[in-house]
Amino acid sequence: MEILLQNNYLVVFVVLMLIGYFVGRAKERRHYQSIFEREEELRRVLAFSSKGPPPSMAVELTTLVVGDVVISVDYFKKFVAGLRNLVGGPMMAYETLLDRARREALLRMKAKAHDLGADMIFNVKLETASFGNRAGGGVKAIEVYAYGTAVKTKGVN
Amino acid sequence: MKFDNPEIPEGINTRGEHPLREFFWLLLAVLVTTAIIAAIVGYSAGWIAKRIPYRVEQQMAQRFFESEPTPSEIGDYLQHLADRLAPAEGLPDDMSITVHYIDDDDDVVNAFATLGGHLHFYRGLLARLPSEDALAMVIAHEIAHVKHRHPIMALGRGVTLVAAVAALSGVSGGVVADRVTDLAALTNLSFSRAQEREADVTALRALVRTYGNAAGAVALFELFAELEQDRRMPTILLTHPHSKDRSREMRERAAAQGWPTGGNTTPLPKWLTEAVARTESVQ
Repeated sequence: MEILLQNNYLVVFVVLMLIGYFVGRAKERRHYQSIFEREEELRRVLAFSSKGPPPSMAVELTTLVVGDVVISVDYFKKFVAGLRNLVGGPMMAYETLLDRARREALLRMKAKAHDLGADMIFNVKLETASFGNRAGGGVKAIEVYAYGTAVKTKGVN
Repeated sequence: MKFDNPEIPEGINTRGEHPLREFFWLLLAVLVTTAIIAAIVGYSAGWIAKRIPYRVEQQMAQRFFESEPTPSEIGDYLQHLADRLAPAEGLPDDMSITVHYIDDDDDVVNAFATLGGHLHFYRGLLARLPSEDALAMVIAHEIAHVKHRHPIMALGRGVTLVAAVAALSGVSGGVVADRVTDLAALTNLSFSRAQEREADVTALRALVRTYGNAAGAVALFELFAELEQDRRMPTILLTHPHSKDRSREMRERAAAQGWPTGGNTTPLPKWLTEAVARTESVQ
């Protein structure tokens, strides 16, 4: 017991790691569930990277739509990333983070387009930014920003 | 024109590996590497620090830490004892010892040696020592630290490790650097324990040479063992070995050298025991 009290900073570290791991994992799982569901719902909204619809397509509405999400890194992921920085190799911890953020941003953009009655989005682009990322701090949060031109083709309600 | 938006299979942009597995292997690799590097750095930093001339060490002490000891009868008595024990220990003549007696009411039980041969003794320790032999063992132990250049070696090790960890924190971030510091500190502690054992051995020889027996050392470590009875920390977290281990090593060494562990001990002068006592009971 005295050992724990004398090294209380170590206890704090372990508690933070446990919170980061368990809560982080649970949140990630729930987020992915939500992503799968909404990807199914919005499957009809198509996203293209080409600049505009083919000339043959009759188009009713064009407007900018944007999807934006900021996700923070939990303590556990940050620690593992710090170790990776030393050893090198793929940062698995951040791979799921970015995957979620990209898909979330795209889904939010598609949801906006769907609300407008559009069924296609052209010129879709993604931009990523990270907060923190100073030496000694590590990345605190990442943001993914998806934007494109929503288009309603004639004949679609 | 017909477009399709099929369901893309999962696991292309992410791996399936369990995050705990990655964590475990990475942590193991980093900790093992840290332990090895800390040991190498610690050893070589100590080796280099030892070669700093004693004069330079004394100048450092003068500049940063020490002031003249406050004159006192007890201080003079301790200095006199130290001057008797130093040549018995083989301390070179050009290495001087300066004794500081700290007369505080806080009942701190401690004694230590710092740079430049400055030894410090607290009233609380003096109030508990059973004999002059035991006091001589404490003084001889601290002189042994000076003789072996332990203070400057410890300083060199500490400074080097801090610099190494600072370099690490630029790469990995503060959180990893904190854990690496913890492990480096643990490695440092094992160096500290080795130094304590070395000082014990040197001091024992000087004690026997001066008083004819090792009774003072036995009594001293019995006292320490009694004082630390309620603190059962594992050895790996301690700066000193457990007192009962130190006591055992002293008796084994005395037996090996044929030094008597029993016999008459010189009592502390009465004026001293009265001067260090306080009205509150001494535990």
